[in-house]
Amino acid sequence: MPEAIEIQLKKGVLALCVLALLSHADSYAYEIASRLTRDIDMGEGTIYPLMRRMQSDGLVETYLVESQSGPPRKYYRLTAAGRQSLAQQKAEWTTFANAVNDIVGASA
Amino acid sequence: MTQAEFMTRLRRGLAGLPVTTIADIVADHEAHFADAQAAGRSEAEVAAALGDPDRLARELRAEAGLKQWEEKKNPSNAMAAVIALLGLGALDLMFLLPLLMGVLGALFGVLVAVVTLFVVGGFVFAMGPLAAPPGGPITAFLAGVGLMATATFLGALLTVVTVGVVNAVVWYGRLHFRLLKPAMDQA
Repeated sequence: MPEAIEIQLKKGVLALCVLALLSHADSYAYEIASRLTRDIDMGEGTIYPLMRRMQSDGLVETYLVESQSGPPRKYYRLTAAGRQSLAQQKAEWTTFANAVNDIVGASA
Repeated sequence: MTQAEFMTRLRRGLAGLPVTTIADIVADHEAHFADAQAAGRSEAEVAAALGDPDRLARELRAEAGLKQWEEKKNPSNAMAAVIALLGLGALDLMFLLPLLMGVLGALFGVLVAVVTLFVVGGFVFAMGPLAAPPGGPITAFLAGVGLMATATFLGALLTVVTVGVVNAVVWYGRLHFRLLKPAMDQA
């Protein structure tokens, strides 16, 4: 069941991807969602429950930026805890991905 | 689906959450539509990409319910958290419900026993000294106080155990959270 594996994989790394994107630059939900939809084919609606969860876990915080057109835009930035979580998840991901690559590469 | 239809269904699904939370979520999604429109996408396209608003509302409610329970542990928040998880399908009804009913039943039984003990203690405390008990009025008086103190202690213990049980259920639910799955199924 390749599809089920794909879903589980994406589910696991989605939070990591959001943290990584925000570590490069502060961003707003639509921008994050567009990027993740384009690159890893994620459902757009997924972003809002995820961002609320990360905010209530204290990994990200929000601030408003005035925009010329329409209401002020809500930006997300990493907190210290978010940066720490990113470092930890990134290390875990790298170790895991390398191990899988080794195995998959060796048997191919 | 138009933006108006999407927002109406989302709003309806969120009913019951704190007003500020609803306003926040609604603003998020309205901004999403506005940004998408600026990027040249149609309302129907964006609504489809966001997914089923009813399902989205359930996920957001579940998240809010768990957060409330973690912030303030009272019976109504416990119920809300468990119900929210059930609504999401994060708790397996067939497997968990009989187990949960058993545990809740047992906890309720202990609660009744504790209350009874307290009432009996109060009775001994108030009436005992008047009924010429063995050991004199002071003994009955102290025995009554002792029984009530024991009941209070057991009540406190019961509260701790109940909080533990709900925490365990929430933990189990989180573990099985299908928060991200449906949105990706339709992608």
